[in-house]
Amino acid sequence: MKMNLKFICNKNLVVTEVQPGKSLLDFIRKDLRLTGSKEGCREGDCGACTVLIGELENDRMIYKTVNSCIMPVGDINGKHLVTIEGLSDGKLNQIQNDFVEQGASQCGFCTPGFIVSLCGYFLSNEKPILKDAIDSLDGNVCRCTGYESIRNAINNSIVFLESNEGDSKRHIEKLVSSNFIPEYFLEIPQRLNNLSIDIQKDSVNGDAKQIIGGGTDLLVQRWEEIENADVNLIFNLHQNEKITVEDNICKIKATTTVSEFWESEIIKKYLPEITESLYLFGSLPIRNRATLGGNIINASPIADMTSILLALDAKLIIEGNSRKQIKLNEFYTGYKTMKLEPGEILDDIHIELPDEGARFNFEKISRRTYLDIASVNSSIYLVIDKDVISEVHLSAGGVAPIPLYLFETVNYLKGKEIAFETIKSAAEITLKEIKPISDARGSSAYKSLMLRNLLFAHFAKLFPNIIVVEELI
Amino acid sequence: MSRKIIKSKYDLYEEKIETIAEVPSEKEKPLAPNSKLKYVGKDVNRYDGYDKVSGSAIYTIDKVLPNMVFARVMVSPHPHAKIKSIDVSKALKLKGVLHIITNENTSEIPWYYNTSKLFDKHLRYQGDEVACVAAETEKIAEEALSLIKVEYEIMPHVVTAESAMKENAPKIHNNGNFGRPSEYTRGNFDEGIKQADVTIEDTFTTQVEVHNPTEVHCSVVNWDGGKLTVWDSTQSIFSVRDNVAQSLGLNASDVRVVKKYMGGGFGSKLEAGKYTVMAALLAKKIGRPVKAAMNRREMNLSVGNRPDSNQTITIGTKKDGTFTAMSHIAYGVMGAYPSGSSSYWPLRSIYKCPNIKIDNKSIYINAGRARPFRAPGHVQGTFALESIIDDLALKLGMDPIELRLKNYTEVDQDGDVPYTSKLLKEAYEKGAEEIGWKNRNKIPGSQTGEIKTGIGMASQIWWGGGAPPSYATLKLNSDGSAKIFSGTQDIGTGTYTFMQQIAADVLEIPIDKVNVDLGDTGTMPYSGGSGGSMTAPSVSPAVYDAAIQMKQKLISNAAAILEVDESNLIYSSGNISSKNDSSKSIEIKDVVGKIHERVLVTTGARNENPNGYAINSFGAQFAKVEVDTMTGIVRVKKIVAAHDIGRVLNRKTLENQFYGGVIMGLGYALMENRVIDDYTGKVLTTNLHDYKMPTMQDMPDIKVIIVSEEDNLISPTGVKGIGEPAMIPTPGAIANAVFNAIGVRIKSLPITPDKILEALNSKS
Ligand SMILES: Cc1cc2nc3c(=O)[nH]c(=O)nc-3n(C[C@H](O)[C@H](O)[C@H](O)COP(=O)(O)OP(=O)(O)OC[C@H]3O[C@@H](n4cnc5c(N)ncnc54)[C@H](O)[C@@H]3O)c2cc1C
Ligand code: FES
Ligand code: FES
Repeated sequence: MKMNLKFICNKNLVVTEVQPGKSLLDFIRKDLRLTGSKEGCREGDCGACTVLIGELENDRMIYKTVNSCIMPVGDINGKHLVTIEGLSDGKLNQIQNDFVEQGASQCGFCTPGFIVSLCGYFLSNEKPILKDAIDSLDGNVCRCTGYESIRNAINNSIVFLESNEGDSKRHIEKLVSSNFIPEYFLEIPQRLNNLSIDIQKDSVNGDAKQIIGGGTDLLVQRWEEIENADVNLIFNLHQNEKITVEDNICKIKATTTVSEFWESEIIKKYLPEITESLYLFGSLPIRNRATLGGNIINASPIADMTSILLALDAKLIIEGNSRKQIKLNEFYTGYKTMKLEPGEILDDIHIELPDEGARFNFEKISRRTYLDIASVNSSIYLVIDKDVISEVHLSAGGVAPIPLYLFETVNYLKGKEIAFETIKSAAEITLKEIKPISDARGSSAYKSLMLRNLLFAHFAKLFPNIIVVEELI
Repeated sequence: MSRKIIKSKYDLYEEKIETIAEVPSEKEKPLAPNSKLKYVGKDVNRYDGYDKVSGSAIYTIDKVLPNMVFARVMVSPHPHAKIKSIDVSKALKLKGVLHIITNENTSEIPWYYNTSKLFDKHLRYQGDEVACVAAETEKIAEEALSLIKVEYEIMPHVVTAESAMKENAPKIHNNGNFGRPSEYTRGNFDEGIKQADVTIEDTFTTQVEVHNPTEVHCSVVNWDGGKLTVWDSTQSIFSVRDNVAQSLGLNASDVRVVKKYMGGGFGSKLEAGKYTVMAALLAKKIGRPVKAAMNRREMNLSVGNRPDSNQTITIGTKKDGTFTAMSHIAYGVMGAYPSGSSSYWPLRSIYKCPNIKIDNKSIYINAGRARPFRAPGHVQGTFALESIIDDLALKLGMDPIELRLKNYTEVDQDGDVPYTSKLLKEAYEKGAEEIGWKNRNKIPGSQTGEIKTGIGMASQIWWGGGAPPSYATLKLNSDGSAKIFSGTQDIGTGTYTFMQQIAADVLEIPIDKVNVDLGDTGTMPYSGGSGGSMTAPSVSPAVYDAAIQMKQKLISNAAAILEVDESNLIYSSGNISSKNDSSKSIEIKDVVGKIHERVLVTTGARNENPNGYAINSFGAQFAKVEVDTMTGIVRVKKIVAAHDIGRVLNRKTLENQFYGGVIMGLGYALMENRVIDDYTGKVLTTNLHDYKMPTMQDMPDIKVIIVSEEDNLISPTGVKGIGEPAMIPTPGAIANAVFNAIGVRIKSLPITPDKILEALNSKS
């Protein structure tokens, strides 16, 4: 079923009808004929297709970078889509100038993606810092330049913007006056308002069986099928506060993205240690679209958010004919199978707020530090009372057909003292509890060895005074 | 200016390439040193910068012609099979499908040096072409592929060299699984070993690396009567022209190949693809333009890779470190069709050694064919050689650099002739100083703590001196603007820019008056493929020659206009004036304006290489790494690249080229790896999720040091190429730094966390 679509692309209003599940990149390149956005992989792994999606939030525009190749086009309804063509209006913008000055492209095929990502960074960061700007490019691959000149270009842009500091204008106005973005950006809020689109209502199609969250798994795995399918775009289902606290329970909407989870004040307050490791999840444009619900339902054995939520002993609230509640560690029944009936939607994820003195740690090993799926991951949640473990939850990914809650290790650890011997014995139990297979991400022996080391790493990191790594290995 | 015809000789591996070329008959006065020039050697911005950063650059994949249709290729899902039958009837019925070609309706077009055909019934790898569909949209073409019914006779496969070399292994070609061997001897290896006080022998292995340029291989083709135009994402327009013309039985002059922008190649785009020829066949039949593009999966299956290697190296030395004998016994997989996998050249050429024995075998397996990949053989060969040399240094109790210097050679070991220049010593010195060589672990692995740091280095040799034939045409207009045409291509390396710089400097005109058009066989003079670090050293003298001739032509014309003897005229800043009479002066644009046709044209040619010299580039790279002994993760902190590459044409594009080569070397050293499942024979790494390339977070600090200036024995511009040198020593330097950090040698690439952990485990 086609869907009516109304949005602003760069400077122009676009009104059309589309199959909502179609890849946004295809729509941009083939329908809009804007070929500056490139296709390098079609799987969210190269960033050549990066575009900005701008949304009105309390009369302010919030821009996020996304991989257009794996985003369903229906999700841009009522929003501002910015492609490389929309970033310069007649003359190059400052970031583009700096790229030219520093010679930051060779073949240039990746360049539009880098520049769009960087504009996204500057739009969402009032105090730009080189390291953070580089981190925001974790989804962009360049095969030619070796990145150094790109770094130099970013550095120049930051220095330029800082030298323009001083006037008290709003950030977006400053970006316009510093020639980081064209002037038309200033009119976008008004123009979007005039579209009078109810993003939430207009994208949800409750009749369609095929649910799409962010699409970062679905559009990689089954894009040909999704392109013409009737789809229920639930990404915009919850427009208001997605993470709330009620009666000591933290309630997280399944449509919460990894980025939103990371930036949430509530999570930062109660679970600060989690947010420190989220940079290991995919890349910024992936995190901007990847939902927690999608991560859980996709049921990959190495899903990172699922690993973390297992260690937080999460409960799932599922909406269908009735509303039901299942513990995450009882949810999976086998490889990619789970207690979810067709038509049911994961609505909410509940976790109890941690006790005082609770500690958390997440570890992940992959071949490349960034933008990589784990070979093996593990999360731990611990409450310690005078060196004795009073509560513990532990998960391991990549070592079984499902994201694993290590029941037996958890049982063993409860009530034990944090000590060298405890940890060694725990690791032995863990190794009996898992069933890793050999694949492209590593041999089964390697994964076992890795998981053992990750267990050690948890304790070494959380209790550096008690546990010394060198003695363990 | 006078010309002569020569037999141009150029060494590349054991191939002595010989072609006939037109060259300037006399040696030209060289281009002034960079210090005297306004543009050459300076930080001039890229000529194509605007197009690239604005998104307005049109690549072949972006090209749309009116009425264009799309082709998709169906490939074998099996590593080894024969086609019993193909049924396309259902696919043809799909609305929007225009035509399908298979072996049944296509004449036999030989491919892969006659070992196969455009459509071969014998499919030798997962990715071998079965059929090609043209349809109104890509989507319909894709859907049609799934409707083609093929009955396969599945044959047993081999996907590793070890199993393919076995006597009873399934045969991929009638005459077996062995390709052309590379054998070489110098002196007498056995005698040399007898003279040795110390010998060392070890085996090193490297993985298959896939090019994965960001733009997929693709072509757009269009017929105009009997003439064919091909827009291609290619590194070599003339090779594509010749391949396509030959395949289709056309005159070369009837095929025009155009390439403006292309998204990377690294050696994988030096020849015509089957998809190009298929698109041309379909376009002819349908009478509409056709676009044929691969997808990322096919990029990882079909269009080339760096072959793997298993190299056993033996070195015999005197106590003082003098090499008496070296041998390199190796094999590697070249995929299902003829290519090469040898990796011995660094050992054969970089150090002084009188006794050498080499035996390299290239093995067929059921996988995609190898193609040249940025310094073919040298990257893997240098990793193995430079690793064992460090081990040997440890054994001899010598500093690794001291051992290399002990065996330093001032003459080419093959031809016994001097180098036009060799500044490797200087590279060692400057590089060692910059990395802090003194601070490396005197005893490898001796640091305590979870994170251990190490420093290592490796040396590099490559050819890259360029050769004729290479031509460039220069036109000067009556408004003072100039245009350069050359059938070379800018694959992102900066060809446009340096050509502009050289012309502007010779003619002494502002650089923005010089325009450059490259990459069109239909309208431009010949230049070779952009590979092997050949472009700048071949093309820069041609454009220089064109500009010098232009200057001369301007002076001659000015002499006639001003009625002054040529010898009394001075050329300066785009002005020609009389030495004696300051009233007699004319701007060059006015010279052109006074000429009947209002345009002056010259064509320059690359000079002949000097006789009696070897031309090589040299360099050394130094790496500083951190190894996390808990997780096995290696972080490269710094790379110093110190190189002898002749004249720097453009500092910006040069550094960029080095950065890119180093990062590619880092990817090869630490993560990139094509994995094939032995049991099914299928490639497991067919996307960028599974085939990992470095991202910005993997980037170390990179410092580029150039120890050379122009080498005018080579050419008047004095340039050596830098594309391959940039990558050759990186993996070896990283491997040696890892060894220096942990004290255990990882003998196989990529150096992944599991190998580090395993090595550390077995050490303790
Ligand atoms: C380049 C790249 C990098 C990645 N890196 C990581 C990584 O580091 N770690 C990691 O864990 N994952 C990673 N992923 C995987 C993916 O991003 C995550 O699994 C993500 O959380 C999926 O969420 P989504 O909303 O995009 O899912 P979608 O693709 O929208 O949906 C996935 C599945 O869940 C179903 N679904 C979604 N929401 C609901 C709901 N509320 N109720 C019922 N069913 C629902 C869909 O129907 C579908 O079957 C990566 C993916 C890519 C492309
Ligand atoms: S095309 Fe590679 S991330 Fe979209
Ligand atoms: S410049 Fe070629 S991929 Fe980045």
